[in-house]
Amino acid sequence: MKKLLLVEDNEMNRDMLSRRLERRGYEVLIAVDGEQGIAAAKEHRPDLILMDMSLPVLDGWESTRRLKQEPDTQGIPVLALTAHAMAGERDKALAAGCNDYDTKPVDFVRLLGKIESLLPS
Amino acid sequence: MEKPIGSVPAFSGVTYLRPDHRGSPFQIPVHATATPHESDSATEATYRSIVEHAIEGIFQTTPDGQYLLANPALAHIYGYESTDELKGNVQEIARQLYVDAGRRPEFIRLMSENDSVWGFESQIYRKDGTVIWISENVRVIRGDDGAVLYYEGTVEDITARKRAEYELRRAKESAEEASRSKSQFLANMSHELRTPLNAIIGYSELMREEAEDLALKSFIRDLGKIESAGKHLLALINGVLDIAKIEAGKMDLHAETFEVAKMIEEVSATVAPVVEKNGNYFEIAAAPNLGTMHTDLTKVRQSLFNLLGNAGKFTKEGQVRLEVERLTDSGRDWLVFHVRDTGVGMTPEQTQKVFEAFTQADASTTRKFGGTGLGLAITREFSRLIGGDVTVKSALGQGSVFTLRVPAILASGETVESEAPSDSLGAPPETAEFVAGQPQVLLIDDDPTVHDLVRRFLQKEGIQVIGAHNGPEGLELARKIRPAMIVLDVMMPTMDGWSVLTRLKGDPELSEIPVVMLTMVNNREMGFSLGVDDYMLKPIDRSDFVATLRKYCNRQDKPTVLVVEDDVVTREMLRASLEKEEFVVVEAGNGVEALEKLATLRPALILLDLMMPEMDGFQFTREVREHADWRDIPILVMTAKDIAAEDRALLDGQVSRILQKGACAREELLSEISHRVARCARPLETVAI
Repeated sequence: MKKLLLVEDNEMNRDMLSRRLERRGYEVLIAVDGEQGIAAAKEHRPDLILMDMSLPVLDGWESTRRLKQEPDTQGIPVLALTAHAMAGERDKALAAGCNDYDTKPVDFVRLLGKIESLLPS
Repeated sequence: MEKPIGSVPAFSGVTYLRPDHRGSPFQIPVHATATPHESDSATEATYRSIVEHAIEGIFQTTPDGQYLLANPALAHIYGYESTDELKGNVQEIARQLYVDAGRRPEFIRLMSENDSVWGFESQIYRKDGTVIWISENVRVIRGDDGAVLYYEGTVEDITARKRAEYELRRAKESAEEASRSKSQFLANMSHELRTPLNAIIGYSELMREEAEDLALKSFIRDLGKIESAGKHLLALINGVLDIAKIEAGKMDLHAETFEVAKMIEEVSATVAPVVEKNGNYFEIAAAPNLGTMHTDLTKVRQSLFNLLGNAGKFTKEGQVRLEVERLTDSGRDWLVFHVRDTGVGMTPEQTQKVFEAFTQADASTTRKFGGTGLGLAITREFSRLIGGDVTVKSALGQGSVFTLRVPAILASGETVESEAPSDSLGAPPETAEFVAGQPQVLLIDDDPTVHDLVRRFLQKEGIQVIGAHNGPEGLELARKIRPAMIVLDVMMPTMDGWSVLTRLKGDPELSEIPVVMLTMVNNREMGFSLGVDDYMLKPIDRSDFVATLRKYCNRQDKPTVLVVEDDVVTREMLRASLEKEEFVVVEAGNGVEALEKLATLRPALILLDLMMPEMDGFQFTREVREHADWRDIPILVMTAKDIAAEDRALLDGQVSRILQKGACAREELLSEISHRVARCARPLETVAI
């Protein structure tokens, strides 16, 4: 079973997305801010990280940058999720080291496609 | 002194003096010397009549600023009863007439360089102290030796024009500001709306899947309705967001190179089910050798989706055809996409409006065909952003042809730089123009429109805004300038507001600086737990914002003067003079406004006009003196009004001094203000009222 780490501060989005991913056969780990996310990534080594960008304590961009600097975690693909469909968001996420990007509200089928293509086979 | 000549009787208004050959003026009856021949007296009478009855002011002055000649129009413009009165009162033009003491020297400099000036615009004190704008056309008259004998020229009162220009500028600025606020509001709202919508769509999908597992047929149908309504709402919000971004100039373009044929294949595959849903036949006619494009792929694709989707929606059991060709026009390569349908078509009136936001062909269209009414407006904006356009030809009942033309290569000028992904690309810090004496507010926000708004809001309040566009830059500036306070956004790239706040509060040198959050993230608890002093939500409410900032901007070294005056020109003139003397100036246009200002700041002195709309100076004074906290603020009254005894009695004991406008020179006013402010700065000697 593939292990996903979902870093998301909004409780409803976290609950909804984790339940939907579990229905599709993924194991889903949860973190609620950037620092927790980094700690969880180091401890559990997930196969992929779904990272919200507007996070408290440490935002998604900075968290991703740190994950990509650590030898332990830099190999884990990071899929950025953000509610801002604002201009430049995609570039900002990719510049921080994210492997791909998707906007919220999520188009679940599209998100699954992106997850599948990023997961190591 | 003068006597009527010929048939022109009215000369009483004109006093005519002439300099002698050495240049010193002395008074000679004009008719005796103006012309060498008595027979020319009729001509002279004509000239004198012109001078006498001219609408423009006409004058001759000596280089040291005395009148040789002035006509009645000039006296009238300057507010005097007669030319004699003007000349009797104004002995020194430079000091007595010009509001800006530098104007007359500038005039003399221009005259010595060019021998004439045209449209020389200045502010002038009239007799009653009111300020008007004039425009002068003047030439120099020199003696045989080249020395300046006198200047002669005309004066026009251009106050009305200046006022109109000012109003126009104001109106334009406030319209632009309103438009920016609107776009910002829409962008913020769209963002806020998407978050809960995410949950609504997500949960309805989730529940529909679960209902399918459990074979709960009636639930499946209803949950599907919630889901599709949610998606429709999302499409609307996305459209509004796109339009707002375009209007706010924040829509970025990302140019990439792609094969046109491949892009068409992808678009067609995606849109085919929508087009064919109404039983339509979907056909593609692509010319060979379409080649590649280098432009914003998503904008082209979105435009084609919208056009093809529309065609499919408004056509039943007909045909939708996409034709693509590449052609050269005006030295550029273009890709031209025609979307033809055999659908309902449009009347000429409908055709005209079809690209406007929220105007589908008519209101019933939305009910019948659905959709957001934004698709075509967005398509047109997108196509224009990438240097192209979209047009339509249609006839009712005969279908429509939409044509999208896009340059094959996006011109570099049309590329909008994306928002800076890292610090190095951020806008340079705006540290260039520190104004001494004004409290400084450091604004840390990645959104340039917020910078613009905040700057506009605070400029008038005498608060200076220093801008930083990301967290690290903000921290650096905070250390460098030690602002009176910091206004901080939460959602920023690189380092979010919470991280900036944590660092500010963790730095012993910066931790005392008040921090106000200005954000669309409603998380007060987080803010206050991290040590913010106030928490404000975007969109910005101007009066709340200013009041809040006032609270934290008391750390002023310079005394504040509250200028209460309804005349904008006078107010600006006073501001300029006072700021030069290193006062901080806060303006109010009437008593009501002034009381509002007093609620949030305490000036060292109030400079008060008496005649004002809404609440005049008398009532304002009463209000201030009745208020315990304000009772001891010195008030200087300046008025153009001749103070009647009963008026004086009303003010007696209530104000520090009454100054007559005009009679009171600028220096006198300033020294009076400095004196009063200095006195009230010493606590034991507060001004006796």
